[in-house]
Amino acid sequence: MTSSKLLSGTFQFSQWEEAQEYYLENGLTDGLPIVPPSEERVRAMLQYAGLAPNAVIGTETIRQKRFTAEKAAIAAVMAGCKPEYFPVVLAAVAAACERPFNLHASSTSTNGVTVLALVSGPYAAQIGMNCGVSLMGAGNRANATIGRAINLFKAGFYGSIPRDMDNSTLGHPGKFTFCFAEDLEHAPWPSLAQSKGFGPQDSTVTIYAANAPLQVSIYTGKAPEDFLTAVSHAMLGLGHSLSEVLVVVGGELMGYLTEARWSRQQVQDFLYQKTRRPLREWVEWHRVDHPQPGDNPDRLLGCVAEPGRITVAPGGGMAGAFVSIIPSWGGSRSITRQIQTSHTARR
Amino acid sequence: MPTQPQQSLVFLDPRDENAKPAALASRPASLDGKVIGLFSNNKPHSETMLRMIADLIGERYAIKGVLEHNKGGHQWPANKEALQEMAGKCDVAIHATAE
Repeated sequence: MTSSKLLSGTFQFSQWEEAQEYYLENGLTDGLPIVPPSEERVRAMLQYAGLAPNAVIGTETIRQKRFTAEKAAIAAVMAGCKPEYFPVVLAAVAAACERPFNLHASSTSTNGVTVLALVSGPYAAQIGMNCGVSLMGAGNRANATIGRAINLFKAGFYGSIPRDMDNSTLGHPGKFTFCFAEDLEHAPWPSLAQSKGFGPQDSTVTIYAANAPLQVSIYTGKAPEDFLTAVSHAMLGLGHSLSEVLVVVGGELMGYLTEARWSRQQVQDFLYQKTRRPLREWVEWHRVDHPQPGDNPDRLLGCVAEPGRITVAPGGGMAGAFVSIIPSWGGSRSITRQIQTSHTARR
Repeated sequence: MPTQPQQSLVFLDPRDENAKPAALASRPASLDGKVIGLFSNNKPHSETMLRMIADLIGERYAIKGVLEHNKGGHQWPANKEALQEMAGKCDVAIHATAE
């Protein structure tokens, strides 16, 4: 049974500034000012998505919370989203409910991860997302506000508030916002959405419990074996037994992969093999927390358990031989959800 | 809360109105005659630390016994059966983490 009535509590203020201070002082924001969530703005989000306020978009079973469209819309408004961004927020928030993502533990761990949203497919361009120059940086409203909405929802509704439920030892800047799109134009490969079985017109969002990105500069040659060896060396620094690793490859290096006709799978396999090292090396590097005396020192231990846990995403500017490596928190798997757009709604 | 304004701007609350605040379990007046549950999250040394705590309790109280459970990993919640068993057999339980 759906209802058009908004169910959230309300606050009343006489001045805009008073509202800003109230949301900030009561821990309802990420520390930055917000767009105050008026009923009119929240309804515009819901109307765009064609959802009633009480529509349940997911149920998170550990904390037993039902995520409603209304609360997601409030977060989207607060973050500064346009209504056309809201389908991406909805898909990401719904994905966070899936058990393998492990939202509760990743939201409380000292490890300090954020929710990273990677958008693949044509909808990213339709709403003006940035997949090029400075795709992880500031300056694009869609990237900035979609990522912020997801993390505001996690804090405000789910309760992952620093020093309360969120016990990140260090945290990282991506906890404000961490969202970007895959570059479909400068890659010889099908989109990540297609690689997961969706059609060329479908768009998806994949969420990761992401640690901070590690940027690597590689000007040592055009051969994929050469620059990917440098990538693998940087990955080793992140440790073994990571849940997943997202590798964002900038335009210049994507050009070299294209010239060499390397597939996405080849890149994954190469990085996987290069980051499998004998246990004794990890122990020598002091990267095994509690070595067991009986362990075989020659046993190979990888950064990740299998090549499929390395995602390779083209993105960034055309100039500069850079790669960004983003590790996932150990107890979480990435989740991909289709974005419900007018294209999908027609089918 | 904000005072009642003359000119009213009304904005919505992002929080979960259905959230139940976590409450501490009631504490017994004494641990004499009680069964103590030790609930490890499998972090290294967590069982060691829990046993040390149980030993200290045993020095101060005439406890009836100790029941241990290791939930197998710190990243996931305990299974319902284990929780029910501990709730059924223990008077108090201690959940702890260590490294």
